[in-house]
Amino acid sequence: MTIFSTDHKVIGKQYIGLSLFAVLIGMALSLVMRYHLVHPDAKVRLFQMLWPDGAPGGQMTPELYLSLMTMHGTIMVFFVLTTAPQSGFGNYFLPLQIGAHDMAFPVLNMLSFWTTALSFLVLMAAFVVEGGAPLSGWTAYPPLSALGKIAGPGQGLGQDLWVLSIALFCVASLMAAINFIATIIELRAPGVGYFDMPLTAWAWFVTALISLFAFAVLLAGGILLLLDRVAGTSFFIPGGLVVSDQIQARSGGSPILFQHLFWFFGHPEVYIAILPGMGVISTVLSVFSGKKVFGYRAMAYALLAIGGLGFLVWGHHMFISGMSPYSSVAFSVLTLAIGVPSAIKTFNWIATLWGGRIRFTAAMLYALGFVSLFITGGVTGLVLGQPGLDLYFHDTYFVVAHFHLIMGVAAIFAIFAALHYWFPLLYGRFLNETLGKIHFYGTFIGVYAVFVPLHFAGIAGNPRRYPDFKEYEFLKSLMPLHVGVTHAAYSLAAIQLLFFFNYFWSQRKGKLADKNPWGAATREWTHD
Amino acid sequence: MQVAILIAALAGATVLLFVQPAWWLPEAISAHAKNYDSHLLLTLWVIGVLFVIAQALLAITVFRFRDRGQQPSAVEGNHKLELIWTTTTAVIFIGLAIAGQGIWAGVHLRSSADALKIEVLAKQFAWSYRYAGPDGAFARTDVKAIDDAGGNPFGVVGGDDIIAPILRVPAGRPVELLLKSRDVIHNFFVRELRIKQDVVPGMTIPLRFTADKPGAYEVPCSELCGLGHHQMRGTLVVMPPEEFDAWLREGAVR
Amino acid sequence: MTNVARTGQTLLIVASSMLFAAFTSAMVVRRATGTDWIAPSVPVWLWAAALLALSASWLVMRGLYRPAALCGFLLVASQIAYAASLRMGDVAQSFAAVLVTAHAAHALFGACALWWKGERASLFWHFAGALWLYVLWLIGVWA
Repeated sequence: MTIFSTDHKVIGKQYIGLSLFAVLIGMALSLVMRYHLVHPDAKVRLFQMLWPDGAPGGQMTPELYLSLMTMHGTIMVFFVLTTAPQSGFGNYFLPLQIGAHDMAFPVLNMLSFWTTALSFLVLMAAFVVEGGAPLSGWTAYPPLSALGKIAGPGQGLGQDLWVLSIALFCVASLMAAINFIATIIELRAPGVGYFDMPLTAWAWFVTALISLFAFAVLLAGGILLLLDRVAGTSFFIPGGLVVSDQIQARSGGSPILFQHLFWFFGHPEVYIAILPGMGVISTVLSVFSGKKVFGYRAMAYALLAIGGLGFLVWGHHMFISGMSPYSSVAFSVLTLAIGVPSAIKTFNWIATLWGGRIRFTAAMLYALGFVSLFITGGVTGLVLGQPGLDLYFHDTYFVVAHFHLIMGVAAIFAIFAALHYWFPLLYGRFLNETLGKIHFYGTFIGVYAVFVPLHFAGIAGNPRRYPDFKEYEFLKSLMPLHVGVTHAAYSLAAIQLLFFFNYFWSQRKGKLADKNPWGAATREWTHD
Repeated sequence: MQVAILIAALAGATVLLFVQPAWWLPEAISAHAKNYDSHLLLTLWVIGVLFVIAQALLAITVFRFRDRGQQPSAVEGNHKLELIWTTTTAVIFIGLAIAGQGIWAGVHLRSSADALKIEVLAKQFAWSYRYAGPDGAFARTDVKAIDDAGGNPFGVVGGDDIIAPILRVPAGRPVELLLKSRDVIHNFFVRELRIKQDVVPGMTIPLRFTADKPGAYEVPCSELCGLGHHQMRGTLVVMPPEEFDAWLREGAVR
Repeated sequence: MTNVARTGQTLLIVASSMLFAAFTSAMVVRRATGTDWIAPSVPVWLWAAALLALSASWLVMRGLYRPAALCGFLLVASQIAYAASLRMGDVAQSFAAVLVTAHAAHALFGACALWWKGERASLFWHFAGALWLYVLWLIGVWA
């Protein structure tokens, strides 16, 4: 296996490998954060060793916490949720499912993977430069993200590297999107029409279309932000600012403009993360209940509807941003409208199971878990999509709970389902079923234990992105909740080791798989 | 089969937590906050019912059609059924969106001419407030006149404005805050009033409320503003109107 | 040109258009919200550079790919010269610099593609030419 391979299978595995590495880092960061939230005064030798400036004497500073939070979000959103479901599995299985010999542009494919890898390296470099990683969150709102070192440690070189990394990631994603769409349009085998494609291929198709539009806009936002930082422009920095007692020589910029550019990408990004998972889940549910997908065409149209509507709802991230209150009304109606195709998918999944013969393989368990989590995370969208209710819940832990369940954990469950389902094709062996089931049960209970309680922190008004809860009376009373969540998070992380053990062990020692062991009907199993 | 029971158990536990919550909303101290709570409760009931129906359907389906050697049915779709659940969800979702517009409009789309205007200034990492003095108008400001140590974070030049580190408002009287920031984006949030608004540099954003119950309330900054974000704590004191008037007069004399 | 190459190029054109659409909407919003907008001056020779783009397209249609690429390189050089003359502290000029530099990157890519790939890059080149007319209009007329 060559490193700079142009073979779609190798590239797919490279993307999956990068994601699994990234998810380990992202998860470790979340554990450090959860630990700090409940032991804000602890002195930890390990922290001092890892971040001598951020944790002097082992005592974590607020800026270190915020930088870990920024990196956790960035790593998880871009390098895990955007990378594995689309570029990882898509690269490997899309050509097989539509009968293509490879992707349309193999060299471009190789370039897009290595640009993604470079982007990851640039992001990691932010940890070790002077001032450390940036602290302005994965959303990087200016002026905080645009002012430079004066706005806090990590806002210097660390933030520069962050913006550069995101710009590279945009370029890589655009290359990948072009490749996916061209492959589907041009390289379908004779006799494979659009509506003969499995829903996974449909999901990759729609996701690539979304990426093509969304990442170009994020790239524009990133370029303008970088120029505000390094070239003295005032795209997002208004005039008359006084930062750290110094008057800033900028004028006229609009902070909200960045938010529009960011969320025009940012909301579709949610669907970039979850649509491929929906495709996988549709397939797995169908295979292991022995039935065809219920309402196949409705499912494909729902994917398209979600993809299209996804570009019209970005304003629901900005209800309280200071934009026109009238536009909030329009955005909220569109936002709740996008819940409809999501609900259709849920009902169709249940209807797929209805009347079937359900085999409880590990892959199937993850798929069922996905549907349950999708419901739990989805219904709270009906609270947050209303601007009136967002007046209280915006930027509280209620939002944290909502998006972790529906975008984070649900998509991760789809990745687990996909790995268990496709492992025989990836490595010729099975992932160990018993370990997989134990891991499923532990993880499923764990995510409910971590994220359902966080809704109550949100209902009590707990703002997100706080390094500790010592300053406020009402937050002190929430400490028992946070202690419980942190312990659940420890257990949840511990059980993930089982998966990683299974993943590496089964590649060499797993049970050998026959051709098409699950009795699937799609081409990747039935054709050579 | 175990998974069906587990789905039902986890969904049941979630519902129980919401029925017997250990943590909940703080007290509502305005008419808007009370409206807010009743619409939130309506929304939570609607999504609670949807949640229970969907999770129960999932669990029952999984339990009932577990592998017992039966022959899977060959159904591939049912247009009537799909039409019914699409229409039903669309009506419920859009209905909620429309029903909830009232509380949004109450804060942002309706104003009251006789509201007491107070300017709010956010900076890393503190809040300051400015009231018009006896002349009834806000004085001119200049960034060069800013003097935090000297008690002039606004950079007020001349005039008789009253500058205070704590937000004091009279109970029962409409208030219009004019939110401004000096450096980065902050967020003004009073849990008891159920209002939250970003404070954006370069903009003056109005925020209206009428607080009914005297008392002291915490104002946590709710938009990430830097390393002191979690310590940017403001205080809102709602006073009986006569006490407020006396306080304002006293402030003007000093 | 194969179907695959044409589809790929079309998609690239969509992505590029989206990038410029994003810059344009940022520019429209920024001009409307700020009070500091002074239209940038566009020198005559930059307008003349439009002729370079057009003649490159004309040469492409005649099958003269390398001469067309040379026109393209000249266009890039004039764009960089113009962008370097702009003051980034001025908002309208900084937008002009962003648009022109972003276009220069496209033109450079297109010209290189013409040089090495000839006919297969023609679609993208025509797009780049049209895009340049749009950018000129945006900074020279609209702004």
